[in-house]
This record gives sequence, structure tokens and C-alpha cells, in this order.
Amino acid sequence: MVEKKLEKIIFKQDLDRLFEESLKDFTVYGPIEKKGNIVFEKIDKSDNLKLNYLNSKIPPKSVIFPQTETLFEYEKKDDEIIFKESNNVGKKRIIFGIRPCDAHSFTLLETFFSFGKFEDDLFLKKRENTILIGIGCNTPKNTCFCTSVNGHPFKDDDVDIFLVDLTEKYLVTPISDRGKELIEGISWLNNANKNDLKKSVELANNAESAIETNLNLDNISEKLDNNFYNSLWKEISEVCIGCGTCAFLCPTCHCFDVIDEEDHYNNRGRRVRIWDTCQFPLYTLHTSGHNPRSSRIQRCRNRILHKFCYYPQNYDLIGCVGCGRCIQYCPVNNDIRVILDKFQKLSEEEEEKLLVA
Amino acid sequence: MLPELYMPKLTKIRNIRSENQANDIKTFELVFNNQEDLEEFNYIPGQFAELSILGKGECPIGIASSPTEPDSLKFTVKRMGTVTTAMHDSKEEDIVGIRGPFGNGWPIEDMKNKNIVIIGGGFAFSTLRSLTEYLIHESNRSEYGNITVIYGNRNPGELLYEPEIERWKKRDDLNIYLTIDQEAEGWSGMVGYVAPVVKEISPSPDDSIATVCGPPIMIKTTIDVLKELGFSSEQILNSLEMRMKCGVGKCGRCNIGNKYVCIDGPVFSLKELEDMPDEY
Amino acid sequence: MEDLQNQNQKITDKIREISTQLLEEKEVDLIIGYSDGTFPLSNLPVFIREVDEVEKLIWNNLCYVNLASYLTSNISRFIRKEESEENLKIGLVAKGCVARTIIQLSLENQIDLNDIILIGINCNGIINRKRIEKEIGEREITNLSVKGGDIIVEGKDFEEEFPFDEYLMELCKVCKIKAPPQLPELSENIRGDSQDISDLHLNFDDIKEFEEKSPEERWEYINDLLQSCTRCYACREVCPFCYCNLCFVDQNMPQWFGKTAEIPDIISFHLIRALHLAGRCVGCGSCSSVCPVGIDLSLINRKIEEIVKERFNFVSGADLTTILPMNTHDMDDNQNFMLEEEG
Repeated sequence: MVEKKLEKIIFKQDLDRLFEESLKDFTVYGPIEKKGNIVFEKIDKSDNLKLNYLNSKIPPKSVIFPQTETLFEYEKKDDEIIFKESNNVGKKRIIFGIRPCDAHSFTLLETFFSFGKFEDDLFLKKRENTILIGIGCNTPKNTCFCTSVNGHPFKDDDVDIFLVDLTEKYLVTPISDRGKELIEGISWLNNANKNDLKKSVELANNAESAIETNLNLDNISEKLDNNFYNSLWKEISEVCIGCGTCAFLCPTCHCFDVIDEEDHYNNRGRRVRIWDTCQFPLYTLHTSGHNPRSSRIQRCRNRILHKFCYYPQNYDLIGCVGCGRCIQYCPVNNDIRVILDKFQKLSEEEEEKLLVA
Repeated sequence: MLPELYMPKLTKIRNIRSENQANDIKTFELVFNNQEDLEEFNYIPGQFAELSILGKGECPIGIASSPTEPDSLKFTVKRMGTVTTAMHDSKEEDIVGIRGPFGNGWPIEDMKNKNIVIIGGGFAFSTLRSLTEYLIHESNRSEYGNITVIYGNRNPGELLYEPEIERWKKRDDLNIYLTIDQEAEGWSGMVGYVAPVVKEISPSPDDSIATVCGPPIMIKTTIDVLKELGFSSEQILNSLEMRMKCGVGKCGRCNIGNKYVCIDGPVFSLKELEDMPDEY
Repeated sequence: MEDLQNQNQKITDKIREISTQLLEEKEVDLIIGYSDGTFPLSNLPVFIREVDEVEKLIWNNLCYVNLASYLTSNISRFIRKEESEENLKIGLVAKGCVARTIIQLSLENQIDLNDIILIGINCNGIINRKRIEKEIGEREITNLSVKGGDIIVEGKDFEEEFPFDEYLMELCKVCKIKAPPQLPELSENIRGDSQDISDLHLNFDDIKEFEEKSPEERWEYINDLLQSCTRCYACREVCPFCYCNLCFVDQNMPQWFGKTAEIPDIISFHLIRALHLAGRCVGCGSCSSVCPVGIDLSLINRKIEEIVKERFNFVSGADLTTILPMNTHDMDDNQNFMLEEEG
């Protein structure tokens, strides 16, 4: 975070000026309503923008990590193969009005895709060219639990610029260097006054108190690791129907499948990556027929452990941002808060009960 | 931008050698189109590469050649699914994409000055071929102790790498034992499953490392025998098979606990496996 | 109409009474029913094994999951090895569509009726949550209840009422089989409510608007309807009739269809899946209810069911002595559409 904040104000009626004038060199994505869902799509005016949204259906990771992404196209000419690119990674994007939880997911995704010997240059280049303008959550939902996973409805660490909705205007705070540069370049913004700042702090405190869920996740990684074979996993996975809803709506899930498609008649084709999830049996199925995670218990367990055990073990971060989408949209209401709570509260006696082979 | 991490380098098939009677296992010798790509492909035994047949897909195959065999790469492929079938349907001069080398490989540095017991079963011998060729190469041989190779198959028709094995038999700086499951006409080698054969040969655990590859049941029984003979969990190495797509630890599917088989493996010691969840 | 709250309470009491009895007399090992979810508008399927858990069972107008889908949990050897609940006697809380599912599954040889007891209830309909959420917009709902003939939706600083009959799922509005059908072969298996279906007249008013469109308009409508699909397969997993070991879209030798979320692939998946459900779909609406992006998937299935009714005079899940039109073949069947003219 930058030491000296240069807070500004923008009135809601001036948003169009912002998009049409000051941000015209960027492709701006914001929350709009499409077919009954709030999703992040390209906007050029503020008409359809729903900045008072509770949260989007499809998480904003979809802007730079879409469901279907072409890795490359190829063409067979005589005996040669010609590769063609199909990704505009250089495009300067702004994601406008992203919630703090979703913004934190970008940090988590970036950590994952850059970790270790190999870096996913496709994702990382797009991430580099994307500016995040976040907005605080004045009214968190009852399924939100960001404060239980080191988050906060007004957390601004993960964004370049942070907005707060002060009813008829937004408080604009530049956070990162490039956020600061962008704001300084918009000369027509007024400075914020003391009352604006005071109201913002008030809203932040109210939002924090409004979050009803308070999970104790101290040492959850250890607790889950020690209870890998506990019979509680059977109970937890019983209702799960094995769809991909939780993973596809999760802002931090990043697993993908890679498939080739061929246009046989025109001697060309492409390789694409699409969202995949450990909840599908095919995810780990060997061609020989062997499946390391052949039972639903194993698959349910893997997702939770990945977020709350393996992520902390590998990157010292919890792999969940507490957005609550998995809770809200799971077809059978398999609530992750209930699951984690049950594990956290396992007594010594209950820890002895193991899964029957 | 072409995503470098996912772009295959192009190679051509120089040679296809059938390895078994059923003709469903073949060794492909691949030559890079670009000299530069060959020079950048620095690998050690035990690593794998992602082979592409463009339009059909990509799959992970262990590298069968040793880095001491300089200007081409060899991969032994069994016809099983979409990509491997497409490879088997290919001919010489056809294009195959390659990404790699991936994986951690056999720990050839830590194995120096040790006696190496190489145990393979069935079709899983390919990275062990790479290891054997590497160890016995004149530039490496003196850095390793005794080398024992034990290789078992269902029947003589399933034995891979016959030309290599003939060469190895003639050497006096390695001991090679071949075995088949049941008696067969014309077979003069040992008879029996790999585990009891290992017990019979009884390699010493002193200063030894055992590398075990094969079908799950063979691995399990062989490990039991090795432990009986006094091998510790740190001395037994396995190369795991897993479903992989990206090969670089990003697509997520090859995880066992918090480890990814494509980057933390595929070679794991038994000690490491004992600390990992039982999901492989 | 009797006050909805009273209706629901009576149904809840009946479910608990029958469940207690079934468990105490060890007639079943397991009861599958509904319980309250963890947040407003949610509903949680439950598995009850002990009498003291029976209190969890409830009935309200949010019980949208077709519980029969838990009985066709796939038991394929090498793809999805589930803990088999075979030979367990199961008590299933059954509204009309769930009972119809059981009947159809029995005819398809997927379940043994001897293992099932239906806790029959006279379903009073499922609320169209998506429509309510749309009316409320971006305001959080803190409670949803029914009273009199209305749905009461409360928030932090609002309370709104919606007429129940209008805000039901479209499928529920035209539903004719609200409780398990009174079939003689099923009488042993039903406790609680059941319904005489001897004078059944189906209603397809819910698809009238779609039918009035031209083929071009329908194609455009379907493209528009399906465009937000993310290929999560929630619809397929919740559907009790999607129990194939390997779904046609997951096949890769050969890869019949693409797996991406691009429109041609999405259309292939949904339309062909709908064809696979022809003559089987009971119109439970679970697919529409569970779709995370709110696609009204049941529309396509409804149209197909109407065609099946017209051409084969067949309604799925209404008769245990019938043959299945899509599964039965006779050598005398008319094959003019396939064979070439002779000479």
C-alpha cells in the first residue's frame, strides 16, 4: 500500500465521462446484468452498470481466465505446421467494480500460476495488463465469510484503485503505483473531504459487523491433514451430486482441461483449454481405467483440502476468499462453512472414527 | 502471443520399432526440426515429455532414450487411447509435437557411488532403459557401484528392448536377470513373478538404491520383498503414473495431496509416498 | 385454499410420522428427504438413519431437488465407484414427480421396487426462486415464508408479498400428478398420500408461447436461452435419468462433440441430452432449479414430452404395466423411414 493516499471523489453522474474520456484507452469490464445474471462484461457506458450488486454470478476471473480459451491454432501446409496465435494478451484491461474477495482471488491465482519452475505466461501477461478498480461491500450477504479467511469487505490490498459508495458519489483511493498514476492523469476529479473519509470508515465498520459468519479457522490446515481418513468425510459427501457448480463459480478454482479440435477438411485445428474440476470423475481417470479418486468421498475431500490444506502448505495462503458463491449456488446446499466447522470441532474421540475401506 | 509454456516443439519420426509380438507397443525415435530445440532439451533419465499429435491431443510419455544417446529422443508408447492410437497410426516422417522435459527424473546425483538395483515389470520399463543406458555409459559408469537389472514380463513376446538387452547381457559391469511368469518353449531365463525372483537374487541393501517400475501389484509385492531384504523406505524409488494434461503443474489434475506428480514427481521415494495420501 | 403455512405443516407432520414409523419398525434402513437449508431460499436433501434425526425432515415450497436421483448414483466399475447403497431399504419422500421417476426407473430396470417405500405427499408446488430473486433485485433476502395464499419475502429494510399461484415454477402450475399415482402394482410401496390418475388430462400451456414461434424463431430462442451455459453439468448430475456410465459428451474415442462453452458445443449437449430424455422426463424441474446461471432447461424437455404424448400416447411414470416407446423394438415395427424403396 502507498503511504500517502490522494483520495478523490467522483459523482455517479460523471461515470460516463470517466469511461468515455479518461478510460477510453482501456477495455473496461464491469458488472452488468445479462440474462438474469450479474456478470463482468465489456462496458463503454455506465447505463447497464450495476455497481450496487451484491456479487456477480460468474466470478471476474472469467475476464482473463475464460471458460474456453484457445491456446493456439495451427494449419498444416504441405509438410509444415504453421502456428497462429489467438490471444490478445497485450490488451489493456480494467476490471471496474470488483469486490475485495474477488480481487484477492486474482492475487491467489497469480501466486499459483507463477509458482515454481514454470510460469503460465498466458495468464500472467493478461494479469499484468489488467488494472483492478475495486469497490467496498456496503451490504455483505449472509453467505459471505471473507473475514473468516483473512479478508474484509473493504480490503484494498489486492486492487489498484479502491472505490467506496457514498450514496451519490464514490470515494476514489489510489492504492498501487499504477493506480496512482491513472488517477493523477484524471485532472477533473475533485478531492475528497474529511466527511467523505469519515463516512467511508463508518461504512467499513458497519460492513464488518454485518458479516454474520464467524468461522474459527485456526490451524484448519493441520486439522484437516490429521483427519484425512476420518469417517466424517462420508457424511459430508453424501448429498453431493458431483457437478461442477462450486468449482466453476469459485473465484479461486483454476483447474483446466486441454483438448485438441481438428478441422479435418481444411487441414487446421486448435488446442483449447476449458474449465475442469476435481469433482468430475473423468478428471483423474487414467486411460487404463484406473481412477485414483474413484469415489465421491475422495473427490469432495480433495476440493476442500486443496483450498484449506494444500494451498496453505504450498503457498502459506488460504485458497478461499469467502465469497460464498459455492454456498449459494450448490444445488444441494452442501455448505462449506458447515463442513469446516464440523472438522474444526472434531473431538478426540471423533477423530478416531475412520472411513471403512 | 503464443503461450510458450504450452507450445509444442516440432519433431519428425525417424524410426518406428515394434517392441512386442502383439505389436501394440512401439518405440518412436524423434528428431527435432530445429537444432536449437534439440540443444535446449536437456534431460535426465526418469523425466517425461508431453507428446502431441496435433488435432488429436497430447499425452505424457516417459523418455526411453538416455541423454547419452545424443541426436534423437526415443519414446516407447502403448496403443491405449486417442493420442497413442494416433501415434501408432503414424508413419516415419510424420510430425509429432513435444514439450518438455518435465518431471524430476531419477536422482542420478544422489545415486552416485551406490549399488543400483533396477527392477521393472511389463511395459513400464521405458525410463529404466533410459537409466540403465545412462549408468553404463563410459562417461558415467565409474561413478556408480554394482548395477543389477531385474526385468519381468508375462511371456517372452512381451519383452521390450530386445536389442538393448542383448547388448547388456554381453557386459561384465552389470548383472541382468530376465524372468517370465510361466514356463515357455525356448526360454532359458528365469521363471516366476518379479517379487519372488528378486527374493531369490537377494540384492544387498548396503549402500544400495532400488528403482521399481511396473503394474501396481508388482510394485507392491516387490516393495514387500525389498523391505524384507533390509531396504529402507528411503532406498526404494518409484516412478508413478498419473493422468496429466499440462505437465507443468498448472492444470491441477495430477495432485496427490499437496504435491503434483508432474513437477514433484514422477519419481518418489517410498518414504515420500508413505507421507502422502493414498490417492494414486 | 387452505392457508399455505398450515398445508406445509400438515405435510411435514405426516412425513415425520411415517418416517418414525418406518424406522421404528425397521421397514427401511434409510430415509431420504428434505430439510431446511443454511440460508434463506435454500433447501438441503438429508439422509436419515435414526429416529431422533426425523425432526430434520420438513416440507416447504423450496423442496426442488428430485430425490430419486440419489438412487441412480452411478455404480460403474471404473469411472464412478460409489459406495453402493444396494439392498438397503429406502424410504423416499415422494411428491408426484419423484414417484413418477421411481416408476419409470423401475421400468428401465435401474431400481428394484421391493427396496423402496414412497412417503407420498400431495405437493402444493415449488416456488420459482429465480423469479422472486429477480423481483427483489440486488437486495438481500433474509427470510422467505408462506402465509395465507402469499409468499412473504423479507429483507433488512423491506417486506414484499407475492401471490403464490403466480410465482410457482411454470411446471408446477400445469402439473397434474401431484402425489404418487395410485397404481395397483405400487400400492404396497406407498405410505401417505397418493392420487387417482385414471382421468389424466395433461396440460402443456407452459410451452404455448414457444410453440407459436416459427422454426427460425425457435432456433434463435434456443440459442439465446442456452448462451450462458458454463458446462458445469449440474443439470445432468441432478437428473435421475442421467445415469449413463459415460455420458456421450465425455466420450473421446471418438469425440462426438466438443466440450467447450461455445454455442455450437452447448447446443449439441443440451439438445441431444433432451433427446436422450425423450419419453422419460417427468417434468420435475430440478434441471431448471439447479442451473447456476438460471437457464430454464425444462422448456426443451417439455416440448419433447408433448410430442411423445401425441405420437405414442405415452406419459412417463404413470403406468407400471406399459412398455416403453423409446426402449422397445419389434421386428414388425414400421421402418419405412430407414429402408430404401425396393426396385
